Amino acid sequence: MKKHLLLLWLLLSLTLLASAQQAQQRRIQGVVRSTEKDETLPGVTVVVVGTTNGASTDGDGKFSITLPATATDVTLRFSYIGFLGKDVKVGSSENVNVTLSPDSKTLDDVVVIGYQAVQRRDVTGSVSSVSAQQIKDIPVNSAAEALTGRLAGVQLTSAEGTPGNLNVQVRVRGGGSVTQDNSPLYVVDGIQIENALSVIAPQDIASVDVLKDASATAIYGARGANGVVIITTKKGIEGKTVVSYNGFAGFRRISKTLGVLKPDDYLNYQLERSKIVGNSSGGLPTFKSLFGSTNFTSDTLLRARNAPFIDWQDQVFGRDAFQQTHNVSVSGGVKGTTYSLSLTRNNEDGIQRGSDYVRNLVNFRFDTKASEKLRIGMNVRYNDQGTNGAGTSTSGSNTTSRLRNTVQYQPLSVPKANGSVVDPSAFDPEFFETSTLVSPVVAIDNEYRNEHRRTINIGANAAFNILKNLTFRSTAGFDITDINLSTFNGLYSPTIRQASGGYANKPFATITTTTQNTINNSNVFDYSTKVGLHSFGVLLGEEIYEQINKQQFIQTNFLPDDITAERALANINQGVLPVGQTSQPVLPQTSIPQNYHLLSGFGRLTYSYDDKYLFTGTFRADGSSKFPAGNKVGFFPGASVAWRISKEGFFQDVEKVTDLKLRLSYGEAGNNRINDFLYAQLFQAGSAPYSINHTLVLGSSATTLPNPNLKWESTTSRNVGLDLALFGNRVQFTADAYYNTTHDLLINRPIPPFLGYTSQLQNIGSTTNRGVELQLTGTIIQTADFTWSATANTAFNRGRIESLGAGLNEIPGITSGWAGTALSQDYVAQVGQPVGQMYGYVTDGYLTADDFSGYVPSTTPGGLGTWTPKVDRTFVNDLGLIGENAYRPGLIKLKDLNGDGKIDASDQTVIGNANPKATGGLNQQFSYKGFDASVFLNFVLGNDVYNANKIEFTSNTSNTNFNNVLDIMSKRYRTSEADGSPITTLERLQEVNKDANIWTPTRTYFLHSWAVEDGSFLRINNVTLGYTVPKALTQRAKVNTLRFYVTLNNLYTFTKYTGYDPEVNTRRSSPLTPGVDYAAYPRSRAFLFGLNLSL
Amino acid sequence: MKSFVSFRHVLVAAAIAGGTGLVSSCKDYLELDPTALNTTEYTFSTVAGATAAIIGAYDPLSGDYGYGQRISLYFPLDSDELIGSAGAPADPRRQIARYAALSNNDDITRCWNQLYQGVERTNICIQQIPQMDLYTNGAAADTAALHRLHGEALTLRAQYYFELVRNWGDVPAQFTPSVAGQDFNLPNADRYATLSKLIDDLLTAEKLLPWRSKAGAANERITKGAAKALRARIALYRGGYSLKGSTMQRPSDYRDYYTIARQECAQLMANRTEHTLNASFQEVFRSINELRTESANEIIFQVGMATATSGSGSKLGYYNGPRLNASPIYGSSQGAVTIAPPYFYAFDSTDVRRDVTITTYSIPSSNFQTGVPLAGTSAVTDGKFRRDWHNPAVPGTVNYLDYNWPVVRFADVLLMYAEAENELNGPSQSAQDALLEVRTRGFGGNRARATASLTQQGFSLSSKDQFFRALANERYVEFGGEGIRKYDLLRWNLLETKLTEVKANIEKMAKGEAPYDNVPLYVYYRTPSAIGNIQWTRSFYRPSPTPNTAPSGTTRVNWRQAINAAYVANTKPANTTYVITPGAAVETSIGSGLAAEYVPGKGKELLPIPQSTLLSDQALNQNFGY
Repeated sequence: MKKHLLLLWLLLSLTLLASAQQAQQRRIQGVVRSTEKDETLPGVTVVVVGTTNGASTDGDGKFSITLPATATDVTLRFSYIGFLGKDVKVGSSENVNVTLSPDSKTLDDVVVIGYQAVQRRDVTGSVSSVSAQQIKDIPVNSAAEALTGRLAGVQLTSAEGTPGNLNVQVRVRGGGSVTQDNSPLYVVDGIQIENALSVIAPQDIASVDVLKDASATAIYGARGANGVVIITTKKGIEGKTVVSYNGFAGFRRISKTLGVLKPDDYLNYQLERSKIVGNSSGGLPTFKSLFGSTNFTSDTLLRARNAPFIDWQDQVFGRDAFQQTHNVSVSGGVKGTTYSLSLTRNNEDGIQRGSDYVRNLVNFRFDTKASEKLRIGMNVRYNDQGTNGAGTSTSGSNTTSRLRNTVQYQPLSVPKANGSVVDPSAFDPEFFETSTLVSPVVAIDNEYRNEHRRTINIGANAAFNILKNLTFRSTAGFDITDINLSTFNGLYSPTIRQASGGYANKPFATITTTTQNTINNSNVFDYSTKVGLHSFGVLLGEEIYEQINKQQFIQTNFLPDDITAERALANINQGVLPVGQTSQPVLPQTSIPQNYHLLSGFGRLTYSYDDKYLFTGTFRADGSSKFPAGNKVGFFPGASVAWRISKEGFFQDVEKVTDLKLRLSYGEAGNNRINDFLYAQLFQAGSAPYSINHTLVLGSSATTLPNPNLKWESTTSRNVGLDLALFGNRVQFTADAYYNTTHDLLINRPIPPFLGYTSQLQNIGSTTNRGVELQLTGTIIQTADFTWSATANTAFNRGRIESLGAGLNEIPGITSGWAGTALSQDYVAQVGQPVGQMYGYVTDGYLTADDFSGYVPSTTPGGLGTWTPKVDRTFVNDLGLIGENAYRPGLIKLKDLNGDGKIDASDQTVIGNANPKATGGLNQQFSYKGFDASVFLNFVLGNDVYNANKIEFTSNTSNTNFNNVLDIMSKRYRTSEADGSPITTLERLQEVNKDANIWTPTRTYFLHSWAVEDGSFLRINNVTLGYTVPKALTQRAKVNTLRFYVTLNNLYTFTKYTGYDPEVNTRRSSPLTPGVDYAAYPRSRAFLFGLNLSL
Repeated sequence: MKSFVSFRHVLVAAAIAGGTGLVSSCKDYLELDPTALNTTEYTFSTVAGATAAIIGAYDPLSGDYGYGQRISLYFPLDSDELIGSAGAPADPRRQIARYAALSNNDDITRCWNQLYQGVERTNICIQQIPQMDLYTNGAAADTAALHRLHGEALTLRAQYYFELVRNWGDVPAQFTPSVAGQDFNLPNADRYATLSKLIDDLLTAEKLLPWRSKAGAANERITKGAAKALRARIALYRGGYSLKGSTMQRPSDYRDYYTIARQECAQLMANRTEHTLNASFQEVFRSINELRTESANEIIFQVGMATATSGSGSKLGYYNGPRLNASPIYGSSQGAVTIAPPYFYAFDSTDVRRDVTITTYSIPSSNFQTGVPLAGTSAVTDGKFRRDWHNPAVPGTVNYLDYNWPVVRFADVLLMYAEAENELNGPSQSAQDALLEVRTRGFGGNRARATASLTQQGFSLSSKDQFFRALANERYVEFGGEGIRKYDLLRWNLLETKLTEVKANIEKMAKGEAPYDNVPLYVYYRTPSAIGNIQWTRSFYRPSPTPNTAPSGTTRVNWRQAINAAYVANTKPANTTYVITPGAAVETSIGSGLAAEYVPGKGKELLPIPQSTLLSDQALNQNFGY
């Protein structure tokens, strides 16, 4: 370690020596223009080749450069981002006018591959990239949203439509871990930052490079197995200071609502159901009490049927949610020094009542060339964001879901039997009692949730050229995030009214404070040389990474009934214990802090011969505090070769092919996103409380059976890729095929419970992911006035569990848990199959008149009779599962897969697969004179979505009587005549139900194949139309660029999916239950108007 | 350039801080101390740490899957005293009650797991505490404290294993902490060996433990008396019958264990200042319901409950006890445990224990006690744990009243003594005295009445067999609802007999046959208009009048009338048909009644070993019949 110190001092002292005087003896000046639109180009870097003498063009494209008079044979090098560089021989002339042409080839892009940047043409691993150019037309607030569908092999799934869009799952090539976190590693300007996509404004991104195969990610060793997302932020350009403003504003509107029964059919259905339930709770007496009468033809019910329909979805999600974003940036620089300061403010109302999102972001980047040999830079980013609103879903079960209130609350308001009228926007205890539903407006107004998140990223870097070819670079950074989550559940929140919840119907408040701190420092030596046709590069480095996360949690129950959220949170000590309660049930707690250190050494060797044969070898050794002595260090090698076929002699004649490169790679990377200290037996104080004299005494217990042999979960990846450029780089095509094996999976393996623990974390088993990724970029039409370019990508991934260790063929008992304990296992993870297989019953229609021989009237007057099954029909007994007592027409049928005559857990089977067959996107950009347009489509093909909403919204269980159901249930099979009297003959049954196409709503929750739907979609994600005011006009007002645009986000989605939106993933706490649509925040469509202005 | 110098300093300083300042040496850098967690060595380096570990070892006793509900209210039912929640055996709790459990029964699995969690925690303590330096070399107070903790750990482990053995039979047993790399495939361990080991352990424990009076203020922690009483209880089980394969068997050396039981009980009985009978039977349970201690310390060992949570609280009095429905004063309870109707008549009419053990009322939203039928749902329930006895009353629907669960009472010590003494020496005077001491308390201290009623009920203390009959009955009426009866019947090999008998008696009640011919079809209570005890207006022991309409100011409820043909049919396995009298309607059982699916010889006297354990332990065999 001391060596570093020494080097840094050396570095510092050397810089102080650097200064030189120059004599002004010769001046060269000129104007730089674009070939395309005959515009002058500001900020073009002009350098005298062979020296560091340079300048930048000003706002009019003019530059001026001075040289010693002795300088002859001068060549100027012009370079500008987005344009092809040009060397111009000046000779002795003093005026040089230069035109630069736009760069259509991304092959010359710089790609950051970890600790260094290389030309894209030299890349030998598999890397997907997106540049600012491609996302500039997407006025969104979330970086993740801006990247969705643009990177081949990187699937970004936003979980739901919450404001700010904060829950985006990022998977690079599927994700190999079964039980651990599959999130990629994020590196921003050289510094590892957790969840970087949520703290960066899309407007600040210069480029995103995603390292996908392990030959590329091996340089990140233990953190690289899930891919590495490298983000480079925008920096200033030498030359004139550019002040620009990007702003957009508009509104969002819910893109789809679910149809529910209107008052008349709602009442008819509930009366029919109540008659079946009879006089017990949730039956006729409740119906009468709620709606005034059980007489179908009574005036009371006739009036009720005509009561106005209360569209709760409209009340909750119906608003036009305003949003605005303002981004002001100042960037520029003088010779050797650039800076960029960007301020962003996002204001976004959610479409849901009471939800919004506010973010203020400052991004500052500063780079300077302190001396000929030393470059230093720093960046500071401050992100302050607040999200209001409890949203619709929770990680808990349906008892605390909020969406159900909105969809299922009674759609009408009528006087009750006792004459009382409950204001539809007030709490109705009686309706809650029978339905466990609260008016959604009341529920939302009684639940407060505010998440305030502040992130400070500070990074600094220095590069020192020790020798001509040898550079030392040091990068250090801090990532500090504070999250303050406050929640309050008021008097009418459904949460506090759960009998088993222990809230005693009193408000409660919680405050969770989380602090995440990371420190990251890397030091590398970078050496490169060229000897004849041989180019060598060596990178050697060392890195430390530390993470400490702390969390405090306090909760107070039994707050005064009428307290407000603000008052409760301002002084949380206002709980008054109700009678019989001896203490607050939840004590203040600090969670076990996450605290780990990583110390690593790494190296990269690159070699190329004549730019024809390229080799990259990487190696990293990671030492981690997460593992016991002996297992601390993991080694992660990677190697890749590339063969530029187009450079071979036999290929020289093929003129249309500009570049053709074949890549092969192999590498290994690790996944260390696991808890700390799992290897030792540790006692957790307070984990095992026992009461003495009715007062809780906090005991301690060993919580796990430790495994001293724990080690990294590692992924071996093999990749073969092809880069092809045609017609002078106008068309570029990249194809990759890969085969990844993740081994030593960390799995909580069930162990015999007599050991005192039910599972132990072990390194067992393996998974594979194999797939193909294709990316095609091309400029289809390019004329003086009109260009049309397109980028398309698609990826195919197949994951499979290869092994779960000896004797274990399946991870037992995977449940998504949306229905609590009412619905048991609904996912399976079996050897030989992918993760994310939905497991349930197979729907088999419903019982109809054909299954019955007759009707037996009830012996009690007015009672419902029973239907006699036909003797030749052997019914599969599913009554227990579906919660019924006797067979009757209209009951759902399920397939008896094992043929034992009854439906039980053994009749479940795999009925869906959440993994898509293909994903991808298509971005098209057009420009015609001052107009520009872009259309971005993305698609997911061949995945299934588990529409749990649909199950819940077509059921009335014993706890959810009188809940409204989806309007598909208006076609239910009925056993009542239109006048409410029971149907008594088979003929009438057939007659009445000739248009029926679905069973009567079920009485229990169970997953059956009807609720597993094709989740394929093609989304018109974004359409933008812009107009740039001609320069001739704007320049009079000293305005460089002025562009107006309109954008439609999420314009339309082509899908067969019947729920709100097929892009959904609500049970996120485990990677084993993807693709559940339960109580997701509905997605919205945004209509935006924006303005780009730069001075 | 100069302006950047200070900036460079900052930068370099930052780099130094990141690169070197925080790192002293590479090796230390990767060794972190888990500050929020304690290593085993650290935990067992102080008395406080060891105490916390023992508290942690008590923890699995409490909560839903300990004695807070499942083990106390699901496992011991059905027997000839009480019936678990009526209904067909579709769900886990009714599977247990109807003797139709499946090996994937979640309640069984979780209790099994939690009991073994207790075993592991005690194993760690038993291994670690004696190794502590303070255990042998500490100050007197420290060694005393640690010896007590050691004794508590041994006693707790015995309780956990005992609960496992009596419910599951030959269960895997290990007496050292689990370690990674050990054999995860343990076979079934012979129950006799396991119980013998526990009996030995408890002998060690009772030497380590102080008497109650030397253990500070009264609380739920284990003292010497608890170890002794448990040792006696386990000895009687060791010497009793249990299911081996498909038959009930008793080891030949059983007398040795009766001797141990007799000896332990005798020693407890010789220390009446520590534990003795409370003069009031009701006070014993009132104290539990009022969350306080009772002066005689009759409850020798009880499981402490608190905080109204599923992990540390108890649903006693919420799940069972009288059914309360939205009473503004008393709140709501489930009243899920009903009585086997003949149990009501097993009590002498003057036995004060009846109205403590059984409640004949419910409390609706009026707050007034109203009468309930003798059988069915919303019927007569058990009563030792009642929500309306909570002091102060708890309105609302909170599910956890946090009543403690009494594991062993002094009354049990007396009756175990009487039983062991009778088995070893016949109905000696000391055996009779012990039995009659318990019974006399049940008759409010009236020994003459207690003795006379015994004879009236057809019992005698004169011979060993007669004495045993009387003893079995005494335990029946003394311990109703305390999770004891089923296990008594099992160790006596009387489960089949008594279940058959109680079902026959139910049928007799339905038909009005002797000895239930005087049981009224209907009973009447004064329509309540104020808070207070329910007032029945006629005797439960004479037939109801004709006509049977309720006199004004009273309300009629079904008594014997509630026991109809369907009720009788439902005590038989599902789909069994039953005709109460020739010509009456054919009733088909849905298997929802008392021990409906119990058929001897099917292995249902034990619970199934959970499927999840069998899957992960290849050496383990499932119990017979599952």
